[in-house]
Amino acid sequence: MNTFLLTDLVSPDANLSIIAPELVVAAAGVIVMIVDSFLPGRRSLTGAISLAGLLLAGVMLVSVWSTGPAMAWNGMIVHDGLRVGFSLVFIFVSLMTVLISTIWVEREHVPAGEYHALLLFATFGMMMMSAGNDLVVIFLGLETLSIATYVMAGLRKADLRSNESAMKYFILGSFASAFLLYGMALVYGATGSTAIHVIADRVATPNFPALLLVGGAMMIIGFGFKVALAPFHVWTPDVYEGAPTPITGFMAAGPKAAALAAFIRIFVLGFPLASAGYQAAGYLHEAWISSLSVLAIITIIVGNTAAIMQSNVKRMLAFSSIAHAGYATVGFIGAGLAKTPSGRDEAIASVAFYMLTYAVTNMGAFAIVTLLAEKNDRRTEFEDYNGIGFKSPILSFSLSLFMLSLLGLPLTAGFIGKVLVFRPAIEAGNRLATALVVVAVVGSAVSAYYYLRLIVVMFFRERLTDWRAPAVPAALAAVLVITVAGVLYLGLFSDGLIQRFAGARSAAVAFVEK
Amino acid sequence: MEPNLASYLALSGILFSIGCVGVIFKRNAIGMFMCIELMLNSVNLTFVAFSRYYGDTTGQLFVFMVMAVAACEAAVGLGIIIAFFRNKVSVDVDDASLMKN
Repeated sequence: MNTFLLTDLVSPDANLSIIAPELVVAAAGVIVMIVDSFLPGRRSLTGAISLAGLLLAGVMLVSVWSTGPAMAWNGMIVHDGLRVGFSLVFIFVSLMTVLISTIWVEREHVPAGEYHALLLFATFGMMMMSAGNDLVVIFLGLETLSIATYVMAGLRKADLRSNESAMKYFILGSFASAFLLYGMALVYGATGSTAIHVIADRVATPNFPALLLVGGAMMIIGFGFKVALAPFHVWTPDVYEGAPTPITGFMAAGPKAAALAAFIRIFVLGFPLASAGYQAAGYLHEAWISSLSVLAIITIIVGNTAAIMQSNVKRMLAFSSIAHAGYATVGFIGAGLAKTPSGRDEAIASVAFYMLTYAVTNMGAFAIVTLLAEKNDRRTEFEDYNGIGFKSPILSFSLSLFMLSLLGLPLTAGFIGKVLVFRPAIEAGNRLATALVVVAVVGSAVSAYYYLRLIVVMFFRERLTDWRAPAVPAALAAVLVITVAGVLYLGLFSDGLIQRFAGARSAAVAFVEK
Repeated sequence: MEPNLASYLALSGILFSIGCVGVIFKRNAIGMFMCIELMLNSVNLTFVAFSRYYGDTTGQLFVFMVMAVAACEAAVGLGIIIAFFRNKVSVDVDDASLMKN
C-alpha cells in the first residue's frame, strides 16, 4: 500500500481565479435563495440578480477566452477552448431562459425565487462539467445539473403532465447516471486514476484492458441517455412535452450541450488514438468511434422520421433536438478521428459553435412557443398555429426564421453550424464517418418537411376560432431581438467568432503534472 | 478461498445487473428508485475494491461523493413521486401515460 503523506493534503493547488465564473454563478444562486427567503415573491428582483450573475460570469469567461490551456486544483479543473466555448453556450441558454420565463412565472404563479436559484445551480453544474478534468468533478457537475433540472421539470405541481415529466426524467436520468458511474468505476479500475490526462497516458498500457472496454461502453450508454442519442432517447419526447415550455427550451439546449462537452472531454481527450503498437488503446479508439457513429446514424434517422409524425409543436421540437444531437455527434466523431492536435481542437470548437447556433435558434423558437402556449401550456398543437401568420407578423416571421435556421438554410446560423461540424468528419477519410455525413445531409433534407409544415400552417391555413395576437412583453421582445439578430449574425458575419472558437486550444494530452 | 479483487467485481456486477433488471421490469416508482440505489451501491463496491487493490484513496473519495449524491437524489426523487401521487393517487409508472405518440 502507498503511504499517505500529509503533504498531499496541505497543497491543494487552489486557484480561485480559474473557477471564478463558476463561483460567480453559484454565489448568485445562493444570493437569490437568501433574498427570496427574506423578501419573498419579488420576481423581478431575483430575476435581475440572476441576469447580473450570469452576465458577469459571461464577461469573465470572454476576457480569458484565448488564455490557456491551464490546469489547477491538482489537475481537477482545466481551462481550455472546450471549457470556454461550451460554458458560453450554457450562460447564453440560461440568460435566455431567465428572460423567457418572466412571462411564464407570472402566468403560472410559480415561486420565482426557487426557480431562479435552481436555474443558476443547474448552470453551475453545466459549467463544472465542461471545466472538469477529473471523473469526480464531471460526475458532481452532472448531478448538480440533473437534480436541479428534475425539480424544474416538475415545477408546475398541480399539473399532472408536469408531474409525469418530472418522474420520467428523474427515473431515467438517475438510471443513466448509474450506468455512467459504473463506467467511470471500471475505467478507474482499469487505469488506476480518475484524472483524464492520466487516463489518456495510461490507456495505452491499462492494467485490465477488458474492463477499459466495458467501462467505455457503459459510459457511452450513460452519456447516450443524457445527450438523447437513439435508442436511448425514449424519455425525451414525454419529458419535453410535459415540462413547462421555458424549461423544455432550456433542457433541449443546455444540459444536452453539457453532456456533450463532458462526453467529448472523456472520449476525445481521455481515450485518444495512441501511437501504433499499443493494441489496447487502438482497439478502444476504434470501438468507441464505430459504436458512436452507428448511434449517431440511428439518432439522425429516428429523430427526423419521428418528428414528421408529431402533431404537437413541443414534441416536434423534442424530436428535432434529438436529430440535432445526432448532427453534433458528427463533429464529435470528427474530433475523435483528427490526426493532429490542432485538427482535433478545431473539431471540438466546431461542436461548441454548433451548440451555440442551435441554442440561439432553439431559445428563440421556444420563446414564441411559450408566448403562444397560454396558461398550463394548453396551446401547443399544430392546429393552434393555424393562420396566425398575418395576424401577428412579428411572431410568425421570427418563428419562420428559426425554423429555417433549424433546417439549415444558407444565410442562417444553422447552415454555418452544420457545415462546420460535418467538415472534420469528411476530412477524416474514414468510411463510416463519411457514411454518417451522408446520412446527416439526407436527414437535414428530410427535416424540411416538418419545419416547413409549421410555416405553412401559420401562413396558409384558415383559423376557424377567434384569435388575438398576444402582447409581447419587454423581456420576451428582448429575447426575440437577440435571437433573431443572433441567427442572422451567426449566419452572415460569423467569421470572427469562429476564429475565436477555433483559436482557443483544448488541453493537450501530454500535460505534465506539477 | 480468500476473496480477491475478482470476487468483489463479480459481486458488484451481479448487484448492478439485479438493479438494472429491476428498473426495467418493476412498475412501482418507489421500487424502481430502490433498484437504482442498488445500482449506485454496486458501483460503490467496485470503487472500494479497486481503491483497496491500488492502495489509492481516490476510489474511496469517489464513494463519499456518490453517497452524498444518492442522498440528494432520494430527497428530490421522493418529492417528485409524492407530487405525482397527490394528483393521481398511484405510484405505478404505467399510470404516467398522459402523453403518448
